[in-house]
Amino acid sequence: MSDHVQKPIIFEEDHLPPATIGGSTLTFLILAGLACMATLIGFTDLGPAKVWVSLAVACVQGIVLTVFFMDLRHGDKLTWLTAVAALFWTFLLFLFTITDYLTRQFFAF
Amino acid sequence: MWLFLVTEVLFFGGVLCAYTAYRIWYPKEFEAGSTALNPLIATINTFLLLSSSFTITLAIRSAYKGEHAGLRLWLVATIVLGTVFLCFKAREYYGDYEEGLVPSQQKTLVDTVDESGKPILKEVSVFAVNLKHVLEEKEGKAKAISDKMTWNERERVQIFFMFYYSMTGLHVLHMIVGLGLLVWQLILAQMGFFRPTERYIYIEVMSLYWHFVDLVWIFLFPLLYMAGIHSVEHLHF
Repeated sequence: MSDHVQKPIIFEEDHLPPATIGGSTLTFLILAGLACMATLIGFTDLGPAKVWVSLAVACVQGIVLTVFFMDLRHGDKLTWLTAVAALFWTFLLFLFTITDYLTRQFFAF
Repeated sequence: MWLFLVTEVLFFGGVLCAYTAYRIWYPKEFEAGSTALNPLIATINTFLLLSSSFTITLAIRSAYKGEHAGLRLWLVATIVLGTVFLCFKAREYYGDYEEGLVPSQQKTLVDTVDESGKPILKEVSVFAVNLKHVLEEKEGKAKAISDKMTWNERERVQIFFMFYYSMTGLHVLHMIVGLGLLVWQLILAQMGFFRPTERYIYIEVMSLYWHFVDLVWIFLFPLLYMAGIHSVEHLHF
C-alpha cells in the first residue's frame, strides 16, 4: 500500500500578498473624496439631474471598492465571471421589471 | 464567497427595483420623504463604514505579516466602527419614531378647505400630519415642498418610508451578521489561529462580505437620504 500523501488545503493558500498600506490608504482617500462629493451633491438642488449624478458617483465608488478593496483586480477568470454575472442578472431584473411597469396604461392609484 | 455575494446582489437588486418603480410613479412623495430624513447621521455613517472597510484591509495585511497585535487592533477597530454605525442608526430610528414618521393606519381630523375654498373637517392619517409638521420645521424649500402637497400625497409618502425602513433594516441585519463574523475572527486571532502568510485568506474572504455591506450603503445613501432637499442650516442629531 502506497504512502498516503496529504493534500494541501487549497482554501488556505493564496499566493498573492494583500494590498500595501499605501495602496489601501489611497483607495480609502479616493472613496472618502467621492463620499464628500456625494454629500455635496445631496445638499445641492440639481433638479431631476440630481439622481443621475448621485448614482454616477455611487457607481464610481462601487467600482473602486470592488476592484481595489475587494481585490477583484487580482481575481481569476471565474471571479470576474461571477462579478459580471451579478451585474448582468441585476440588469435583466431591472430591464424586464421597469419596462413592464412603465408601459402599463394605468397607475397603481 | 463571490457566489454568495451574487445572491446578495440579486436580493438587494429586487428591493431596489421595486424602489425604482415606485419612485418613478411618485417622485414628489419620495422627494418629500427623503427631505424629512436626517442627512447628518447618514453622512457620518457613510464615513464610518468607509473607514471600517479601510481598517479591515489593514487587518488582512497584519494577518499576512503575522503581526498578531496589529491584527487584533484592526479587527477591534472595524468592530468599533461598525458598532458606532449601528448606534447612530438606532438614534436615527428613535428620532424618526419621535417625529411620528412611522407608517400607520391611525387617522385624525384636520381643518382644511374643499375645492370651492369652504372650510371643512377632513379625516387624514396621523402620519401625514406628522410629516407636514416635520417639513414645516425645516423651513425654506422643505416647507415649500410640503405646502405644494395635498393631504393624499402626504399620506402616500408612507410608501417611501416603507422602503426606507425595509432597506435600512435589511442593511442593519447584514451588519449585525458581519459584526458576528468579525468577533469570530477576533477570537480566532486571540487563539493564535493565523500564522504568517497562512490562513489570512479567512479574514480576506470575510472582508468581502463586510465590503459588500459597505457597497450596499453607498447606494442607499443617495437613493434614500439625498433624494430630497436639504440645507446645512437645519442639520441636527
